[in-house]
Amino acid sequence: MKRIALFALIAAISFSCGSQKSQKENSGENSEKAAVVYSVDELYANASDLVGKEVTVKGTVMHVCKQGGGRCFLMGSNEDFNIRIEAGEKIGAFSQEQMGSDLTITGIFKEVKTEADAHNPAREHGGEAHVHDEEAEEAHRIIIQAEEKTETVYFMEGLTIVKEDI
Amino acid sequence: MKIRRLLRILHRDLGYFIVGMTIVYSLSGIFLNHRHDFNPDYKIDIVDFQTEIRSDTEVDESMLKRILEELDKSIVFKKHYITNQGNIKIFIENGEVVINPATGNGTMNYLQRRPVIFEMNKLHKASIGTLWKWTSDGMAVILLFVAVSGLFLLKGKRGFGRWGWWWTIAGIIVPLFFAILYI
Repeated sequence: MKRIALFALIAAISFSCGSQKSQKENSGENSEKAAVVYSVDELYANASDLVGKEVTVKGTVMHVCKQGGGRCFLMGSNEDFNIRIEAGEKIGAFSQEQMGSDLTITGIFKEVKTEADAHNPAREHGGEAHVHDEEAEEAHRIIIQAEEKTETVYFMEGLTIVKEDI
Repeated sequence: MKIRRLLRILHRDLGYFIVGMTIVYSLSGIFLNHRHDFNPDYKIDIVDFQTEIRSDTEVDESMLKRILEELDKSIVFKKHYITNQGNIKIFIENGEVVINPATGNGTMNYLQRRPVIFEMNKLHKASIGTLWKWTSDGMAVILLFVAVSGLFLLKGKRGFGRWGWWWTIAGIIVPLFFAILYI
């Protein structure tokens, strides 16, 4: 039993090292493939051409979902230009420490077509009374205002963080 | 080897193995259960302060850095911008600061990770990648085995057939009751 446990531990560590190495290699490959890095403003300016495609965008993290970091919002030249990035399985989660950092992220640029695609803080964080969080409420207010100004709402399914500038 | 003896050996050894995971999931589960009462990952310190900034003050990065340094020397400035509402928003390491230039009032939100609990929560939410997802699935299967095998370990008066099944039914009725009532 001890031998089995030890063998399993060694296998897990080896697999983990191999997986991390291949993730880093994939990240390098992605950064070479996606040579064009769009700002958030440029992404919206070319939205109709880029929908459904893998793109790389760079922006400042203006909000990270406090309930697990499953998504973040990158800001462009001002708050009105922001794009939701879903962390998904590949990225895992964003951290609050990334707020204010410039992230370059590769992902699939998509249009919000269904309720499931839309960002709904009440659905995601629970509709019941919760800790009063002014920062989160302010961020959600800005995001909703920006969405209301546009005809079409977009988001990105994040695949990899290419670069992080703190 | 008799099945019951094998079950006992596996239950014992896998039980020892899974204790760590069970503690991680139980403790983080309690914190995550209360995610609407408090932030399970971070302790948030809110500091209100006053600056000499007014509506006609020309604000630049060096001025803001000086203000932050006077507040706390350990604060690290990242960047700032003017919000749509005209407030000055400053991103700092582990937090953010908002200053109202009309009044000079400022508020700083400073985040501190809850040591150990933060990491446990990340493991619980399986938000650290695909390898952990499958590893934790495997651990869950082991926990399931330990739970179910425990039902069949004892014979006699206190075995599952004469004693244990009452407790097992009661343990199922509690979540079932809430599920029926609230879901």
